[in-house]
Amino acid sequence: MKTLVWVEHDAGQVKDATLACVTAASKLGEVHLLVAGEGVGPVAEAAAKIAGVGKVHVAEGATYAYALPEAVATLVVELMGHHDAFLAPATANGKNIAPRVAALLDVMQISEILSVEGDATFTRPIYAGNAIATVKSSEAKLVITVRGTSFEKAAREGGTGEIEAVSSAGDAGGATFIGQEISKSERPELTSAKIIVSGGRALQNSENFHSIIEPLADKLGAGVGASRAAVDAGYVPNDYQVGQTGKIVAPEVYMAVGISGAIQHLAGMKDSKTIIAINKDEDAPIFQVADIGLVGDLFKIVPELTSKL
Amino acid sequence: MLAALMGRPQGTFASKVEVEGDSVTVTREVDGGLETVKLAIPAIVTTDLRLNEPRYASLPNIMKAKSKPLANKTPADYGVDTTPRIETVKVSEPPKRVAGIKVADVDELMAKLKAMGVAA
Ligand SMILES: Cc1cc2nc3c(=O)[nH]c(=O)nc-3n(C[C@H](O)[C@H](O)[C@H](O)COP(=O)(O)OP(=O)(O)OC[C@H]3O[C@@H](n4cnc5c(N)ncnc54)[C@H](O)[C@@H]3O)c2cc1C
Repeated sequence: MKTLVWVEHDAGQVKDATLACVTAASKLGEVHLLVAGEGVGPVAEAAAKIAGVGKVHVAEGATYAYALPEAVATLVVELMGHHDAFLAPATANGKNIAPRVAALLDVMQISEILSVEGDATFTRPIYAGNAIATVKSSEAKLVITVRGTSFEKAAREGGTGEIEAVSSAGDAGGATFIGQEISKSERPELTSAKIIVSGGRALQNSENFHSIIEPLADKLGAGVGASRAAVDAGYVPNDYQVGQTGKIVAPEVYMAVGISGAIQHLAGMKDSKTIIAINKDEDAPIFQVADIGLVGDLFKIVPELTSKL
Repeated sequence: MLAALMGRPQGTFASKVEVEGDSVTVTREVDGGLETVKLAIPAIVTTDLRLNEPRYASLPNIMKAKSKPLANKTPADYGVDTTPRIETVKVSEPPKRVAGIKVADVDELMAKLKAMGVAA
């Protein structure tokens, strides 16, 4: 089987979720990549070095900057004449592009796969991760999104992919990119952080969140997350949210501070390797999934922990 | 998918929507923050949780709705084949996590973090 993986990139770098996608694709067959964007020469070169990559199709052009799905999906459909499966990471951008490709190819998409079980058989979460479905596709072509935390990342080095330019001017089909407001942070990105410290409603306000959670995270070199309650109350921006309607994370260590452990929050972090919970309520549901729990007042515990680290 | 089938632009995960003339400006919730796109209408917009407060139907309107005619159609009436092309082979429970240990204080937690190599 020949697969085509859409490469998500930022500032000349291939994103981690794409590396997981490459691993998923390699379980199906030959891995080809699609790098689309403006000034993407360096990205294409980096992509060609990813272990296990065969061909790297490069579409250069202003229309492809910012991953507008109208333009990218049309391009993918052209390339799908020579490929059997299209894979994209299940990120905001991947989830924006893949369904458009599926519709244009008239196939049913398989979303957020967790594993590859055979040529056309996959597992995927349903009911917010409370059940795992094994699904088998009978489509002539596969369109798949891949949950980044469920696959190992392919090595960035070791591949000898062949770069091939795609000549397609592209058409953004009535969509224009206006601007973006990307939160700038020196901290690791949530979906690839090794350690995450998350704060909940218990922090009470934005000042406390910054003065209590962030110093601890910085001592640990951790990414910072939050519960929906903390986001809705305006302590931190929306993109901090972990959970069913936020980010799905699976770091080595997830520290939940003043988070009760609602099922919707657990849906986003229960695949973390080690879960540490700090909560003053010893019956809080978070302790049912935590490997290490500490019952007590976070306003005392966290500053003490930070100072001792 | 609908947008693709109609050949129209799309604005997914919308947290703000403004229609002006023959275009709509959509602010989208993306992984790193927000992104704004301008789409020629008709466009397909899907909403994020925080777009707005849902509008609830009032009792009089619910009553009025009851008397409206309903046209029952099947997909076949529109020439659409909805036979699934993906088969669910089985549904299983995800691996369960079990509660671990409780530590008594910060020093014990520190010891655990050190053992895990997280703290020096
Ligand atoms: C459709 C839907 C989708 C949702 N999606 C998400 C999602 O993606 N992510 C998400 O997180 N939630 C989501 N939720 C919301 C979820 O149900 C919970 O409401 C939310 O996670 C609660 O956040 P919390 O744990 O911070 O707050 P609370 O439930 O209020 O918990 C606060 C915790 O802090 C503890 N505490 C208070 N003071 C202290 C102190 N001084 N020291 C130590 N501990 C203290 C309390 O004992 C309590 O356990 C969703 C809900 C719905 C309906």
